[in-house]
Amino acid sequence: MPAPLLETKLYLPRPRAGLVPRPRLSETLDAGAAAKLLLVSAPAGFGKTTLLAEWLAAGPAAPADERSAAWLSLDRGDNDPASFWTYLIAALRTMAPGVGENELALLASPQPPAIDLVLTTMLNDLGATGNDIVLVLDDYHLIDAREVQDAMAFLLDHMPPRLHLVIASRADPAVPLARMRARGQLVEIRAAELRFTPDEVAAYLNEVMGLQLTAQDVAALEARTEGWIAALQLAALSMQGRDDVAGFIAGFTGDDRYIVDYLAEEVLQRQPAPVRNFLLQTALLGRLSGPLCDAVTGTGGGKAMLEALDRGNLFVVPLDDRRQWYRYHHLFADVLRARLSDESPDLVQVLHRRASDWYAENGEPAEAIEHAMAGGHLESAADLVELALPALARDRQEARLRGWLELLPDELIAVRPVLSNGFAGALLSTGVVEGVERHLRDAERWLAGPVETREGTDPHTKQMVVVDDEEFRRLPAGVAVHRAGLALVLGDPSATVAHAQRALGLLEEDHDLGRGAATALIGLASWSSGDLEAAREAYEMCLGSMQRAGHLADVLGCSIALADMQITQGQLRDAMRTYEQALQLNHGGPVLRGTADMYVGMSTLHRERNDLDAARQFLVRSEELGEHTGLPQNHYRWRVAMASLRQAEGDVGEAVDLLEEAERTYVGDFSPNVRPVPAVRARAWIAQGRVDDALEWACAQGLSVEDDLSYLREYEHVTLARALLARYQVERSLDQATELLERLLRAADAGHRTGTVIEILVLQALAVRLRGDLPAALAPLERALGLAEPEGYVRMFVDEAAQMKSLLQAAAEHGIAPEYVGRLLAAFGTPANSKPAGQGLVDPLSQRELDVLRLLGTDLGGPEIAAELIVSLNTVRTHTKNIYAKLGVNNRRAAVRRGEELDLMSRARDRRTGRAAVHEE
Amino acid sequence: MHAPQGKPHEAGQYEIRLKGHLASRWSDWFDGLTLTRESDGTTLIQGPVVDQAALHGLLQKARDTGLPLVSVTPVEPDRPARPTTNP
Repeated sequence: MPAPLLETKLYLPRPRAGLVPRPRLSETLDAGAAAKLLLVSAPAGFGKTTLLAEWLAAGPAAPADERSAAWLSLDRGDNDPASFWTYLIAALRTMAPGVGENELALLASPQPPAIDLVLTTMLNDLGATGNDIVLVLDDYHLIDAREVQDAMAFLLDHMPPRLHLVIASRADPAVPLARMRARGQLVEIRAAELRFTPDEVAAYLNEVMGLQLTAQDVAALEARTEGWIAALQLAALSMQGRDDVAGFIAGFTGDDRYIVDYLAEEVLQRQPAPVRNFLLQTALLGRLSGPLCDAVTGTGGGKAMLEALDRGNLFVVPLDDRRQWYRYHHLFADVLRARLSDESPDLVQVLHRRASDWYAENGEPAEAIEHAMAGGHLESAADLVELALPALARDRQEARLRGWLELLPDELIAVRPVLSNGFAGALLSTGVVEGVERHLRDAERWLAGPVETREGTDPHTKQMVVVDDEEFRRLPAGVAVHRAGLALVLGDPSATVAHAQRALGLLEEDHDLGRGAATALIGLASWSSGDLEAAREAYEMCLGSMQRAGHLADVLGCSIALADMQITQGQLRDAMRTYEQALQLNHGGPVLRGTADMYVGMSTLHRERNDLDAARQFLVRSEELGEHTGLPQNHYRWRVAMASLRQAEGDVGEAVDLLEEAERTYVGDFSPNVRPVPAVRARAWIAQGRVDDALEWACAQGLSVEDDLSYLREYEHVTLARALLARYQVERSLDQATELLERLLRAADAGHRTGTVIEILVLQALAVRLRGDLPAALAPLERALGLAEPEGYVRMFVDEAAQMKSLLQAAAEHGIAPEYVGRLLAAFGTPANSKPAGQGLVDPLSQRELDVLRLLGTDLGGPEIAAELIVSLNTVRTHTKNIYAKLGVNNRRAAVRRGEELDLMSRARDRRTGRAAVHEE
Repeated sequence: MHAPQGKPHEAGQYEIRLKGHLASRWSDWFDGLTLTRESDGTTLIQGPVVDQAALHGLLQKARDTGLPLVSVTPVEPDRPARPTTNP
């Protein structure tokens, strides 16, 4: 969260002088410091914070148990997960400064990764630090957000042994307490333990407060307060300097009055009027400083007053060591607030108003807005929100913004065009479509000029309200950007482009963020409608704007899209440059999110160049960086890249496994899904010989050779063409495949998608060769080679294995691109290809067929083979027939010989268990 | 978005009973509900509650006073409210 951190929330409270020593609790506390979780759970005023502060200040009983203590005082704002985790990490960093820097940057990034990903690395780093760390989360009962609670359960499950959590709360936290109790991971201090024992009550009243009470008085007070320290404190303060102590005690021990309320009243009555007024008037402030109190009370001397209250033990708690900020004891503040709202309800509004003004003037807009809302000054709150809009957008606090706007009445927002547009933006960026149109219309209504009062509408012509003139001037462009965003979400690319173009015309040249957003929308919409040229141009502009605006994470995100397009366009060198330039944005600071994605992209390009070692290294590096340095899509993209590497290395089975994992973990984004994982997997199936599975996939996707072709489904249609080619050995017909490839080529040529053109040409060459017309096959091959050579394609050809090898040999004989073809042919011989992917067959043998082929190489007869494989003789015959067809032979001996040529016999053995393979070697 | 929405039938009268006597000035603190001090030493907080979220808000406020919670009872609209018995 880029908003500045409040240091006071991380302040470890110092124990007051003159506390009652409570050795009976120290032992439990020390046991808690060794456990995973120490839970201090009791109602308000039971001395939870004081106990923990005193215990931490005293240090461990044994020097060997050296520990550092970090403290976080939670408030309601920490129900925002980004705020909660930012503060939690900041608290840990007070004791372990080396950890969490990357994580803080990640939390501040747009669409931060899932919190478990953020936490995992940090927890590992923490595990490596020296000291035990005790982290106290005070006032945990204020956290009720489910997201935060769930992530806390994750934290507890994954905490390194050196980290110990302390939760102080008025209600038990929503973590699996029973399980932790059963495992001995939990130590608890509850109200029963926190209550002051009769001895402690006596020590407090007589020794600490110097009251010289009789044993009987002490016993009466102990019975009436039930050891509740907040009540005892108030009682002691009420009794100080009082003559008739016994009478006072008798006066309240005999009834059922709310003791805190009664005693606070007593304490207040005994204060001079200025003190009493000060306490009441400042009670609604969450934090107190001299200047703030002066502004709220309308008088001076706030700082001196706070110091006097601190010295007199009158319920203020210092929040720093500089005596600048304080707060009231919560219970006492509640009593004061209840009195204030009962006695002077009108004053409450005035006081909030003053607090709001002070915070606004002192640069804390969030507090200013909260006080304006609490005081019911909604118009003023709306003004303040409008002024805070640019900073909130810059700091990616759209969720918080939305929360405020939802509290404001509609009619207030509708007359504020800047606010209406901001609301539309906050909704869009938090994934909500409903209401966007209405708010944009409200904004546009005012931009269109003075509003006519129509019959049936409100007879009072409403006035437009604008507090931020600068933003109003920019409003037409801002509305156009949001209109474009809405159109994109609603699936209307042409409207998206139109609105975004309009926005670009309206935006100032140097409004980089606005221009970046508009061009990104044009890029996405153009890409979705298949206009790669326009999309590419837009993304290149967007990269420049986002970089100038300092939105580096967006630059990395856009780079992936741009490189994807460049690859489709057959510009591998440009794509590599795109990745490299994006990587250069990382210098020194925390690793930018998206860096892991760049490495995956670079791996894919190295693989295409047949530098499989480099391809592997980049994938390893991407993985080592940790998932939190990747965008949400990186998880599946990494698996797709690794699958294609494994396939190039000859392990199609593992490739299929990886692709299945990729499919399970697929997450989309706004980019069109132009290479769907199931299509990639269908290709791997083809390589495995599972052609029927691939065709079944095509059928399930509704793909057919008669389809109208579109760029968005091009990859799937090329996959279908591959499956049809592979079926040739069975069907003996290429008509469908040939026709489809012909149409695909025309479409890809027209769209200048050179990368796809090369692939289609390669498939055409293979198809023509299957027909047996070698010279005709060389024509498409020659064109493919001409397009591929400048960009250094290798695997495009080598992946097609033996079929392509013989074609390339023919090309070499005809003197086509001799140098390049020579390099490609050499690539077939590299060790990585000693077991060619796809077995060197258009229609590779299935695992079962490989098993049969292996047995055909033995002396066993048909029935014995059937027995060995535990299948019927008929099945063996079917397999044998298929094997002959796939290998292009017509008898057993030829099949075995061909199998040996293609290295399939050993492959069949390898696929058996390791032990069996060893025996047979 | 995933927060349970207040449904009309969840709105209704509730009685929250706390152990200890709360002065009537706490009425405003409890969103204007009626506070009755009863002879058994408890305080009865009664009134309309718009939905479950509002009810839980009231319970948190009760918790924050530190007074022990005795009971929470929905009151049927067609029946007159009557004091609940302590568990």
